[in-house]
Formats: sequence, structure tokens, C-alpha cells
Amino acid sequence: MFAALFSPDSKDAAALLAAAQACSPRVEPQLGGRLVLIDTAGLTRIVGDAAAIAEELSRAARRTPHVTVSVAVAPSRTAALLLAIAQPYSVVLPGRTAAAVGALSLEVFDTLAANKGPGAFLPPRLQKKGSRPLVRACALCRLAGAPGRCGEPGGACTELATLRRWGLATLGDLAALPAADLAARLGQAGVVLQRFARGLDTQPLVPVLDEARFEASLDLEWPLDALQPVSFVLTRLLDPLSAALERADRGAAVLETTLTLVTARVDADGTKTRETHVRRIELPAPMREARVLRTLILLDLESHPPPAGIDRIAVRLEPAPGRIVQFSLLERAGTQPETIATVVSRLTALMGEGRVGSPVLLDSHAPDAFTLAPFAPAEARSANRGAGCAEARSAKARPVLRRFRIPVVARVALEGERVARVTTDRIGIRGGAVEQCAGPWRSSGGWWSGRDPGACWDRDEYDVTLADGAAYRICRDRHEDRWFVEGILD
Amino acid sequence: MAAAARAHLESLLRAKKLDVTLTHLRPALDAGRPLLPLGHAEIDARLGGGLPRGELSEIAGARSTGRTTLMCAALASATAAGGAAALVDALDRFDVESAAATGVQLGNLLWVRGVAASVEAIRASGHAAPGNTSSLWRAVERALKAFTVVLESRAFGLAVCDLADVPPPVLRRLPFTTWFRLARLIEGGSTAALLVAPERAGRSAGGVTIVLGGAAAPRWRGASARARLFDGIAPQARVLGRASHEGSHEGAHGGSGNVRRTVQPGQ
Repeated sequence: MFAALFSPDSKDAAALLAAAQACSPRVEPQLGGRLVLIDTAGLTRIVGDAAAIAEELSRAARRTPHVTVSVAVAPSRTAALLLAIAQPYSVVLPGRTAAAVGALSLEVFDTLAANKGPGAFLPPRLQKKGSRPLVRACALCRLAGAPGRCGEPGGACTELATLRRWGLATLGDLAALPAADLAARLGQAGVVLQRFARGLDTQPLVPVLDEARFEASLDLEWPLDALQPVSFVLTRLLDPLSAALERADRGAAVLETTLTLVTARVDADGTKTRETHVRRIELPAPMREARVLRTLILLDLESHPPPAGIDRIAVRLEPAPGRIVQFSLLERAGTQPETIATVVSRLTALMGEGRVGSPVLLDSHAPDAFTLAPFAPAEARSANRGAGCAEARSAKARPVLRRFRIPVVARVALEGERVARVTTDRIGIRGGAVEQCAGPWRSSGGWWSGRDPGACWDRDEYDVTLADGAAYRICRDRHEDRWFVEGILD
Repeated sequence: MAAAARAHLESLLRAKKLDVTLTHLRPALDAGRPLLPLGHAEIDARLGGGLPRGELSEIAGARSTGRTTLMCAALASATAAGGAAALVDALDRFDVESAAATGVQLGNLLWVRGVAASVEAIRASGHAAPGNTSSLWRAVERALKAFTVVLESRAFGLAVCDLADVPPPVLRRLPFTTWFRLARLIEGGSTAALLVAPERAGRSAGGVTIVLGGAAAPRWRGASARARLFDGIAPQARVLGRASHEGSHEGAHGGSGNVRRTVQPGQ
């Protein structure tokens, strides 16, 4: 059995949906929310017969004031829909569908035809190759799955006009026509419309489902002060979540862990609120392996431990569509994102935040201008691999610098404009006489950003080889007139 | 009698799956072994194609002998093929701009930045006890831990640990089992591990040592002082180890000899 709730006012859409969901979880909104179809299977045992179900739906709808709702309960989805539009209250028992629907005026179809919305109503098997896809269709065509030309600009449901020309007044008239003759004149559209007029379903009910929530929490009997026992609790929380993700063909895109602590803070109004320690991890790819998720949470908590004992642990996963990977017979499979994410998390926990990633050059002439981006290696196409290798092999040896990120102050002796001697206080870089020198190359920039002196630079760079056999890049800060060893050319 | 004893010994080694240490079997084992080209034609030829995968190799040399040039060439070769590479930079000396200029695909490179050690840290660790907690010693320890994590994952085609600016006394303090442990992590895998150090530190039995130095000289272009340009360093390499086709063959006497050398760093 199916039921339908209909309201002529689109403002009542939320109330209709709420009333329908109060009775059944399987509901399908139509006509922009003005009509809600309900699968009442199983409600007989809970609510009662069809009349009781209709009464229950009416009662649920009346809870919202100023809402006028038509209710219909019928053996088929189509019959419930048509009856709800045409009559304020209908209950049709099995075996009486054709009679109940056949008595309805053909104007019911007008209500449906007047509601246009997005959707290609032609089933793929009926679409002609190369034909222009229809982007808008009337509700009648959408619900019946019937082809027509109502999607064209200024067009109307031509089949409906034809039926009126034939003198048909009720759905029963249409239902009584010979199906073969109707098909000969109107094609597949006529057959589908006739099934619709007979109250037969042309499409199944497609319920809207709320996005499942993937959350789990556990209240602890005594506070946890160490991370090792947290691992066991996380396993207990994440195993069912991982299974739920797998069932829904989803992966976790974001991991949010909320630890409720034993300490409390006093709000302005004097009330005490338990402090929480919230950590959010954005994953590079959707993943659902409980072991990997647990490792990532633990590594993150190692880097950012809670300041007090833990009383309650809650984990929330933000789902994303599962990852689809197409493997090749001819190419080696790339590294799994789960592996990469775990490695990066381990390394971040070890080296510190902001010390692990892929370097990215900035669009600047400033020295050492780079930033770190999250590591996400891109798989090269096989066609490009050969070219990449060849390019790498043919690359000539270029000057490669080992950069001192802590400045090494140098003392430089000049002979005229030529750098004659470089010495430093740094162990291992004693310096000496300059044997070869190239430069200076002057560069400056950032002077336009006066608010940030650190962003300005104005310097002369030299490449020198010293008597000790090593090559260095030195520079002179022209603002402060100081010399530095920028790095070793190696 | 000697032949029978030798055959018996070899059969025992095979039973214990230690036959990789047999010298005369090594060429057969090496045949068809996957290699990672360094991207330097001359050295690749000496290596027989490149660095062996599944082994720990090393580049040793003083400053300005082309250690970093070779390291960047290897990274460029590994990343240009679409693979992922990791660089554990113990003292944060990696220059991004230079690496990009040598062809390293930065998007495929995982850079693990150590702490930039200061002058004071190096000075403090120069003559300190092995158990000291100076920042340089901690940086080396942390870098080796990070290198261990990278190798354990087996997710990278090339993993490099850059200890080139770590003073040799600090490197010598590391337990000799360190290199065994690292080599063991990638055994049989497709990761080529590379250690860059100021002197020979350690490699696996099947790995290679590239000793830089000798006549390595910076190359200059341009005659006048005004127009002169530093044009890089041409590494002069001596290849030691299993795959050297020419030059020195210090490791040609088999794995056991190589292993013995690796446990005495600095020699």
C-alpha cells in the first residue's frame, strides 16, 4: 500500500515531509515538495488498516497549523498520487483501484503537466542517438516516464492535447482505449499514459534517505591519562564505524575526535562546563580501514596531547563517496593514499608540525621562497614516463646549493670591487683567500610592502671558490652592509 | 676434501637462506635486478645502470665534491618517472630552487625537514660524550628515526637520508647496527635507499658506495671576472661495491667483506 500527501501551497513542503516521515521512513517528495509519496508497507501492524493509516497521516499533518492537506491511501503509488491531487481524502482498498482512478477527470493530468522541473524524462533505452537531451519536463512526463515534447521552449505535453481532441474526459476513458491502437497512434508515450490512468505504477518509489551519520562515543568508567589505553577504546569505536562506512560504500574524508576532559571551566554565569579537546584530521583521500584511522588519530594525539585526563571519547567521521581505483595490467599500482597518510602522520608526529610535505616554489625572486604543501604524489601517465626519464637523464649538472637557513655571518675583504678573502667564525667554514669569483648579482624586492620589513630584500650575491677547495655562495645585505655565507655549492 | 667441505657449508647456508652471502652466486643474483638510474651517465655506467633497489647505498665525499648534485640527480630521476621519492634532510639544507632547476618533480617529493642546527650546537657536539643530548645529536637521531619510518612504509622508489653536513665524529658514534637495521627494512623491496654522508658510513651488502672527491672541481664559464658564471660541479666518483664495472672494486670479494666494512664506519 502507498499513501500520498498533497498540498497546493509549496510553503507547506516541510510540514508535509515531516508528517510523512513521522509515519514512515520511506518517503519520496514530488512536485517540488507539494506532494509526498509514502510507502506504508509494515504500517498495518503498527497503525492499523488503510483508513487508520490515512487518519494517522491526517493527524500528523494537522499538527502544523494553517496547512491544508489532501490524503490518499491506495494499493499503488500512482493511484495514491492521482487521488491525493484530485480529492481531499481517499482510501482505496485493493481491487478497487481502477474504479477509483477511472472516475477522476483528465484535469488531474493538467495539474501534473503544469509543474515543470528539471529532468530528462526519456529512459535511456528510448533516447535516440545524437538527439538533444531534454532538460525540463512536466511532472506528468516525469512521473509516468512518458516521452513527449513538453521540454521544448513553449511546448506543451502534446499527448495530453491529443487526448482532449479525441474527446476523452476522464482517466477511465483513457484506460478503456485499446492499448495496441493507442500505441499505434501515440507510440510508447500513449502506453505509459494509459498505465498511469489505470493506476498502475510505471516507476518504483524512490525514497529519499538522510545522509547516514557516522558517529560513536564511549563514556569511560575512570579517566585515562595515557594514550595507550585510548588506542583500545578507539578500536572499539572505529571498528563498527568502519563496517558502517563499508556498507554505505563511503570513506571517511574528515576525522573528528572529541575528548571530554576531567577538568571543567566556569562560565560567566557561574555554570561549570567540562573542557573538551577536539582534534580534526582532514584525510588526503577517503579511507575506511579502522586500523589506519586509529593510527592517524593516535599519531595526531601524540603531537597534540590532551591537557588532562579523558572522561569520554567521541569520534565523528565525515563521509565521502568511496574511492574507485582502476588498476592497469601493464603498470605497477601506485602507493595507496592510506599508506601515504600514515607515513606523513608518523613523520609529522616525529618532526613537528609544518616540517613534512612537498616543497612548492613561490612566484617570487626572494631568496629561499618556497612553501610546503601536503604530500600528494601524482601518478604520471605511462606515455609521459619515457619523456620524463629522458629529460632527467639529459639534464646537465647545474649549481646546487646547500642552504644555511641559520645565517652564517662572514667577514669579507675586498680589493677594489673584487672579493679577495672570506672568513667566518663557524666551525668547518674557516674560509680563506678567494680563488675564483663570479658576481655580483643584485636583487631586491618587497620594498613596496613597507609594513613588513622582513619581506624586503636588497642584496648582492657572489659565487666563490676558496683556497680550501670548497665553493660557496655569499651575499651582502645592502641595507645593513653585512656579509653572509648563504650556502655551500655542492 | 676442501671442495666437499665448501659444498657442505654452502648447503647449510642455503638451508638457512643465507646463500646471498656466497660470493660466486652474486653475479647470478644481480642479473635482472631492478636499478634506479642516478641520472648521471658516467656514474650510471660505472654502477651498471644505477642504484640497486632493495639495498642501502651511500654517497660519501667532502663539501663541494658534487654530493648534492648527485643526490638531486637521483631525486630527479626517481620523480621524473612518476614515482614518489622521500628526502630526510637532517639539518634542513635542501635548497628547493636548485632542486627544481635540476629537474626534481617537487610534487612527487616528500621533504622531511630536520632542525637547522646552529653554530653553537655543532660546537657543543664536537667533543661531547656519546650520550649527550645536544641538538645536533638529537637532530641526527631524529633524522634516522624518520628515515626508518620512510623505509618501513616501502612507499617510495627512492629514499634519501642527507647527513652530508653532520660532522664525522657524530656519525661514528652511531651504533653499527643502525645500517644493518635500515638495510633490513627494504630488503627485497623496490625502494632504493641512499645515504649522503661526509665519509663512508654504511651500506648493505648489495648496495654501492660512491666516493666523491679527487679531481672534482667547480666549473666556471666566461673569461672575464664580470662575465664569469659558476656552472656546477662535475663529480669525480669512485664506485665501490657490487656493481662497479671499472675503477676500484673494494667490494668485489663478496658480501661478507662488504658487511664487515659497513660495521666500521669511517674506514
